[in-house]
Amino acid sequence: MTTLQPDHPFAALLAEFVAESAPLAEAVVERALSLERSWNRGEEDEETHAPLKGLLHTVKGNSAMMGLAPLQSLAHTLEDLALLLSREPGVRVAGGPLLVRGASLLADLVRGAATSPLPAEALRIQIEEIRAFLEGNPGAQEELRTERRQADQRQSDRRHSRQTVEISSDGAVSTIRVDSARLDQLLDSFGEAMIAHAGLRDALRPIIGRRRAGGEATQVEHALLGLERTLKRLEGALMETRLLPISTLFSRFTRQVRELARGESREVRLEVAGGDTRLDKTIIDRLGEPLVHLLTNAIIHGIEPPEERTRLGKPAEAVIALRAVQRSDRVLITVTDDGRGLDPERILVKARALGVAPTAERPSRAEIFALAFLPGLSTAERVSSLSGRGVGLDVVAGSIRALGGQVAVTSEPGRGTTFTLRMPLTVAVLRALLVQVNGERYALPLADVAETLRADDRAIHQVARQGMMTWRGQVIPVVDGGEALGGDPVADRPYCVVIRSASRHRGLLVDAVLGHYEVVVKALDPTLGRPPAVAAATILGDGRVACILDPGRIGERPADAAKDAAGAA
Amino acid sequence: MPTDDILEFADQLGASAPTAVEPEERQLHLVVFSLDREQFAVPIELVREVVRVTDITRVPHAPEHIRGVMNLRGRILPVLDLRTRLGLEATELTPRSRVVVVEIERRVVGLLVDAVAQVTRVGERLVTSPPDEVRAAGQGAITGVARAGERLLMLLDAARLLRNQADNPTSPSGVLC
Amino acid sequence: MAARTFLVVDDSRLHHQMYHLIFARPAFEGAMLLHAYNGREGYALFTAHPELTAVFLDLNMPGMTGLEFLERRRAERLHPQVPVILVTTESTPDDEARGLAAGAWAYLRKPFTPEHLESLVAGADGRGVPVSHRK
Repeated sequence: MTTLQPDHPFAALLAEFVAESAPLAEAVVERALSLERSWNRGEEDEETHAPLKGLLHTVKGNSAMMGLAPLQSLAHTLEDLALLLSREPGVRVAGGPLLVRGASLLADLVRGAATSPLPAEALRIQIEEIRAFLEGNPGAQEELRTERRQADQRQSDRRHSRQTVEISSDGAVSTIRVDSARLDQLLDSFGEAMIAHAGLRDALRPIIGRRRAGGEATQVEHALLGLERTLKRLEGALMETRLLPISTLFSRFTRQVRELARGESREVRLEVAGGDTRLDKTIIDRLGEPLVHLLTNAIIHGIEPPEERTRLGKPAEAVIALRAVQRSDRVLITVTDDGRGLDPERILVKARALGVAPTAERPSRAEIFALAFLPGLSTAERVSSLSGRGVGLDVVAGSIRALGGQVAVTSEPGRGTTFTLRMPLTVAVLRALLVQVNGERYALPLADVAETLRADDRAIHQVARQGMMTWRGQVIPVVDGGEALGGDPVADRPYCVVIRSASRHRGLLVDAVLGHYEVVVKALDPTLGRPPAVAAATILGDGRVACILDPGRIGERPADAAKDAAGAA
Repeated sequence: MPTDDILEFADQLGASAPTAVEPEERQLHLVVFSLDREQFAVPIELVREVVRVTDITRVPHAPEHIRGVMNLRGRILPVLDLRTRLGLEATELTPRSRVVVVEIERRVVGLLVDAVAQVTRVGERLVTSPPDEVRAAGQGAITGVARAGERLLMLLDAARLLRNQADNPTSPSGVLC
Repeated sequence: MAARTFLVVDDSRLHHQMYHLIFARPAFEGAMLLHAYNGREGYALFTAHPELTAVFLDLNMPGMTGLEFLERRRAERLHPQVPVILVTTESTPDDEARGLAAGAWAYLRKPFTPEHLESLVAGADGRGVPVSHRK
C-alpha cells in the first residue's frame, strides 16, 4: 500500500507522525551530508555513525507503527547501508552519495506523508539501487543482519553507562567516551601546570643567566626546555580532545533558517561548507548565539522579499552561505548573503550623529564598516515575530571577542553582505606577547602581533595630533600605550608593537617588551562590565594578574570610539 | 594567600559576647570593618573569607569604584574600593588593609576596607534606620544603623553595593557598581 | 470490577497518542491511562501507583532507558505485582532476553496492532501465562 488506509487504527495520527518524524528524517540527511563531506576529504567521522543509525531506527519504527510499509522499507535499507558504510571504509566514497540521496528521499516522503500519496515507482527504484549496492559488496548481505543486531546492542549498551569502552571485533579498544566535565577538569589541571611552569622558569632565570655557573645552569636550562616541550605536547593532545567539528553547530541552522525565513515571508536557502572544521568545544558551545544573531539579522534586514528580488533581477530564493575554514591557529567563519547589503553612507551618517566618527575627514570603506559594530549603530530595530528585536551588532561583536575572536563586515550595497569571524582554535591557553606600560603588564595575543620594534629607530610624525609612522611601506597610526589604556601618556617610550586587527595595523608604544609567554586565559568576571580593550585576564608566573588585551579595541573608551585611530587618510 | 584572618574570626566567634539580648530575639551576625574612623558591617552569611591584599591589577576602563582585580587562589577577583563607593577618598594600602570576599547572588567580589575589626552579634531590635544625611552619603547602600556597645555600626546592603549606578559608563547592560 | 489504570512510558509523543487511541476502544472501557515522557517521570508515577494494571515501557529512551527502569525496580523491589511490558523492536532480541531477566513480565514488539495489545493485557489481567507478541 502506498498510502495510509483510512481505516488504519492510527490514521488520525498522520499529522503527528509527520510532526515528530520529519525533523528526525531531516537530521538523517544532515548527518549523511556531513559524513559524505568527511569521507570525500579522506577523513573518518566516528561520532556521526551511531546517531545516524539511531535516527533511522526511530523513523523506521514510527513508519511501521503507522502502517507506512514503503517508508519502513526505505528506512530499513538505509539502515543496512549505513551499517555497511560504517564497517567498510573502502566503499564510503562510492556509498556516501547514495546514502544522501536515499535519506533525502526519505525525508521528503515523511514530510509529505500527510498530504500526498507515496510515489511507489520512485521508492522502489531507490530501494533497489541501495540493495544492489549492498549486494555488490561481497558478503555484505549475509553479515548485515548479524551486524545490525550487534550494533543495536552496542547502542543500548552505550546508554547504560556514561563511560564505556567500545570494542571492535578484534578486541582492540577504539574509542572511549568521557564526560566533558572530566575534560574540563583535566584542562584546569593543565592550566595550573602551565602557571607553575612559568613560575619555575621565572625563578630559575637568574640561575640560567649566570654563565659562570657552567654545567649546572645548562642542565637546568635543558631540564626546563624538556618540561616545556612536554607541556606543549600535552597541551596539543588535550586541545585535540576538546575539538569538535563545527558541523555540530551548523546542522542546527538549516531548520532554524527555514523557519525564520518562512515567518518573515522570505525564501532563503542556507548553504553550508567546511562543517568538518574543528574548534574547541567551549567556543562551539558559545558561538551558536552570535551566529544565530547574524543569520537572523540577514534574514530580517538583509534579504529582500521574493517579489522585490525578482524585480531587481535576483533569483527569488536568496542564499546565505555559511563557511568555515582553518588557517594555521585560527578558524575563519564567513556568513555571506546576497541581499541588500549595508549602505556605508547611512552608517557614516549615523556614526557622525552619535559622535563616533569624524565629521571632517572621510574614513575608508573598511573603517566605515568597522563602525557598524559600535553600540547604537545597528540599524536593527524592528520587532519580528520569531526573534524579538533584531540583535545589535555590538552585542554580537562582544560575544565573539569574549571568545578571543574578531569579527569584521564588508558589503556591496544591493549585492550582499559578508561577515567574517576569526576565532582562535583553542580557548584555554593563549600564546601572548607580554608588554609593560606605566608599570603594569599586559598580554597581547601573539597572533595579532605583526612586529616589535624599537621606537627610537622610527620617526613618528604627528599629524593632526595623531602619531603616524611608516611600516613596511604603509603609513600606520601609532598610539601611546599609557593613554590608550586609560592612564597617563608618557613621551619617548622605547618600544613599538605593531598590532593587527581586522585589516588594520597600528603601532602601540610601550615601556618594555617582556617576551613570549603562554598564558592561561581566564574570563573576566561580569562585575567588571565589558571594558572595551580587555578581552580576558590571566595569572602570570609570579601570581599577579595581567589583562589580556583585545587589539582591535585598544584605545577605545567605554561608549566612545572616537579615539580609535580612524584617521589614516 | 594568607588567611590567618579566618582563624582570627573563629576565635572571635567564640569570644564575642552578644550584647544584652532577650533569648527569643533574632540576632544579626555581622562582620565589622572600618573605613576612616567609621565602622561598617555586612551579614556574615555573605562573607566567604577575609584576606590580606596582594597586588591589585588595574583594569583599563573598568567601571567606577573597581580598584582592579586580584588573584584569589587562581580566581580573578574583582576588588571594589569601598571607600570611594561610599563617597570617601581613596587611600594607599596599609598593612591593615583587607579584602572582604563576599558572595551575592552567585557573584563573588572583594570589598577593599581599611581594616577588619571583628565579628559580632547584634539584636535586631537595636537596628534603626539611618538618618537622612547618612543614607544620602552612602547612596542607598547604608540600610541601617546599630548601636553595639559604645560603637555605632552602619549596616551595608551588599547587593546594593554591587548594583548598577546610572552613570556607569562601561557596561551597556549596566551590570555593576 | 475495579477501574483499571495503565502507565505508558515513552519519549515519543506519537506513541502516546497511539496508546491513547488504543485505550479508547471498547475493550478498555473505563480504563485510565497515565502518561510519562521519560524514564524518570515514569518511575516516579510507577512509585506512586501500586494499583497499576500494567505498564508499557519503551526500551530506547534517552536518560533512563527501559532496561535501567527495570533494573532499578528490581533493586528497590518496588511493586513486584505490577506487570511491566517492555516495548521492543525486531532488532533487539538480546534486550528482550535481558528485559525478561530484569523482571519484565512480557515484551511487545513494534509494530504492534491494537489487537496485539488487547490480548496481551487480557493475559495480564487474568494473570495468565505471559504471551509475548512478535510480528
